[in-house]
Amino acid sequence: MDIRNTVLRQLNNRREGFSLEQAFYTDPDYFKLDMETIWYRDWLFIGHDCEIPKAGNFFTVQIGDYPVVVVRGRDGVIRALHNSCRHRGSRVCNTERGASAKLVCPYHQWTYELDGSLLFARQMGEDFDKSQFSLKKVHCESVAGYIFVCLANVAPDFAPVRAMLDAYVGPHRLAEAKVAHQSTIIEKGNWKLVWENNRECYHCAGNHPELCRTYPEAPSVTGTQGAGDDPVIAAHWKHCEDAGLPSQFKMHESGQFRAARMPLIEGAVSYTMSGKPAVKKPLSSDVTVGNIGTMLLFHYPTTWNHMLGDHAITFRVLPLGPEETMVTTKWLVNKDAVEGVDYDLEELTHVWNETNDQDRRIVEENAFGIRSPAYEPGPYSPDHEGGVMQFVEWYTNFMIDRLEGDRTKLSVVA
Amino acid sequence: MSSVKKAPFKHVDEMLPWSDKEDMLECVGWTPEAPDTMTFTFRADKENRWFRYLPGQFVTLELPVGQETVMRTYTLSSSPSRPFMLAVTVKAQKDSVGTRWMQEHLYPGMKIKAHGPRGDFSYVRHPGEKYLFISAGSGITPMMSMTRDLGDREPDSDIAFIHCARSPNDIIFRSELEYKARYMPNFSLGLIVEQLERSQFWSGLKGRVDKAKIALLAPDFLDRTVFCCGPEPFMATVRESLETAGFDMSRYHQEAFATAAPIADMPIVVNEDKDAEPSFKVRFADSGKNVDCQPGFTVLQTARANGVRIGAACESGICGTCRVKCLSGKVDMQHNGGILDDEIDEGYILACCSRPLTDVEIEA
Repeated sequence: MDIRNTVLRQLNNRREGFSLEQAFYTDPDYFKLDMETIWYRDWLFIGHDCEIPKAGNFFTVQIGDYPVVVVRGRDGVIRALHNSCRHRGSRVCNTERGASAKLVCPYHQWTYELDGSLLFARQMGEDFDKSQFSLKKVHCESVAGYIFVCLANVAPDFAPVRAMLDAYVGPHRLAEAKVAHQSTIIEKGNWKLVWENNRECYHCAGNHPELCRTYPEAPSVTGTQGAGDDPVIAAHWKHCEDAGLPSQFKMHESGQFRAARMPLIEGAVSYTMSGKPAVKKPLSSDVTVGNIGTMLLFHYPTTWNHMLGDHAITFRVLPLGPEETMVTTKWLVNKDAVEGVDYDLEELTHVWNETNDQDRRIVEENAFGIRSPAYEPGPYSPDHEGGVMQFVEWYTNFMIDRLEGDRTKLSVVA
Repeated sequence: MSSVKKAPFKHVDEMLPWSDKEDMLECVGWTPEAPDTMTFTFRADKENRWFRYLPGQFVTLELPVGQETVMRTYTLSSSPSRPFMLAVTVKAQKDSVGTRWMQEHLYPGMKIKAHGPRGDFSYVRHPGEKYLFISAGSGITPMMSMTRDLGDREPDSDIAFIHCARSPNDIIFRSELEYKARYMPNFSLGLIVEQLERSQFWSGLKGRVDKAKIALLAPDFLDRTVFCCGPEPFMATVRESLETAGFDMSRYHQEAFATAAPIADMPIVVNEDKDAEPSFKVRFADSGKNVDCQPGFTVLQTARANGVRIGAACESGICGTCRVKCLSGKVDMQHNGGILDDEIDEGYILACCSRPLTDVEIEA
């Protein structure tokens, strides 16, 4: 039977409030369908403006089968291009990041302008029309210091994402920050397990001693419901909004992204062992009030984030295979902050380095158990795992919509 | 009784370093190592000279083949820890001209001109805590030089030595390597051959190099500093094996032992009004060449005219392939966007569209 129909049937008959069937976390065909249906069609957070501050600065990324290069042009505009030479397909940029006046394919030196147009190809004959062989473009948007790309031919509307990030992230001025540190870990588990683990703090008490010094375990903080009813959170929103920082819980109707400013444990202002700031210089001069807690932002399927007064931590999820996921974490600080003077790197990164590693082990153990023939979907905690249920609901709805949409199109063609 | 030949004895501190400008090499011996492979040993043509070089470096020999002198570059197989002699170990390929001439005509007593020693392929330049030397065929020569040197200077050096040869008979320096394995406590030897002859005994590995064989012969290869030399496909396999294993490639160093392709004839633009413009000196630092730049010539043209190889594609300042560092002096660069302002600030130029305005020194 066609795999699409199998998946569609399973999603339609899913037991609500329960985890997914085993194949969704392990099967290569299901993974391929995830990639085609979600990853190759949605907006994906990929990196920050401040990582490529000058013309000619670029970084590369691999999204499933697609190598992509993100480059800043001479006009200052950030563009994303398919990193595959129009000559014979070689990767044009083969380093993780770099600076180059032109994009030159190392194979035969086909030379592209920073906007992807082909400038020079040696001895291709009189009739060769360079204008037909530019690097292919990838949809690319930059907002509030975040770069998003989309591999689809027709990209979904970016305006709602832009509006929310502008309002909530804008004041933190990440476009002018700098990446003080970044780490990349590989978690041997399906990308949905990485997300499910992120969407609840049910597991925090037993697993994250460092994070729990400052981050509240309350489901109203991590999850997607009940925040407004919590008087501490309501007071926090008022405190921040009075100072001009949008803070109230806000989620897009599709469930794909949300932002909310949440208090940390009383007395804590940053993710350090002491709860004190890790960076002497504030992250943004636009934030003039203290005790702003953490601005939580997620955008499925690639990113969750924490924005504090002294620094921001951003996370990028990229699937490598059905049971392998790459998570890249970046610590952003004021661009004028000096390591060893304004911050100590170990102090800045300790809590989330530990937390990431703990989460990696959790996800890997989770994946291990799911591979058991004895595994069957289990119930989520209604009190603590509302966020996970919301994620699974989003995944289910998007997959069903698109698989049905595709099926309709197929029947029209037939 | 035979007469005793009186050899002048001098300590090394009573001698002067050999210089390629003033001195020649005198062949003092040849030793067959393997089929078509011979070691030639040289001393200085003057009595009181010693050789000063780094293990792993190469020399360029001027070989009087027929009417013409041909230049051939060979890695030294000898060790600077034994500074009175210099040796190259050369394998003659089927279509070889220079090496074939050496094997047929170079005898003790003959003197030849040499340039160097030179090169960066040495553990001295890229030190590590422990090493993986991995070579194929006559790519073994720089590895042997470094092994001999480390054996004399730091006999407890941790070296995993992997060598690939066509057959057991083709293994160059086999008995000396086995000796090193016995006397250097942290020296491990792994040999891989491609084929065996009928009835030939071989207890080592068979086949071509791959990741599994590297991991078998040097299980801790991820912790080692790697030096690799051999034919390009061999080195590509080694590189790929290391890369896919997550090896930190900043600790990978390679040397190509095949000579570069001959430099193509190229049009040279000469400024007609020769008196109007002075010529400048161009020093190519890595190649050790000091040459005149004809008026109106670019740095790239000057390099080509003097056998210095700088990669170039568009030759019009667009692609940036010919980017080199200008160490001193000024050039007039008329590029077409192939270089970043930051790169210019760091001293880089595009050789194809830069004409010297003063004497210049180029890193190439």
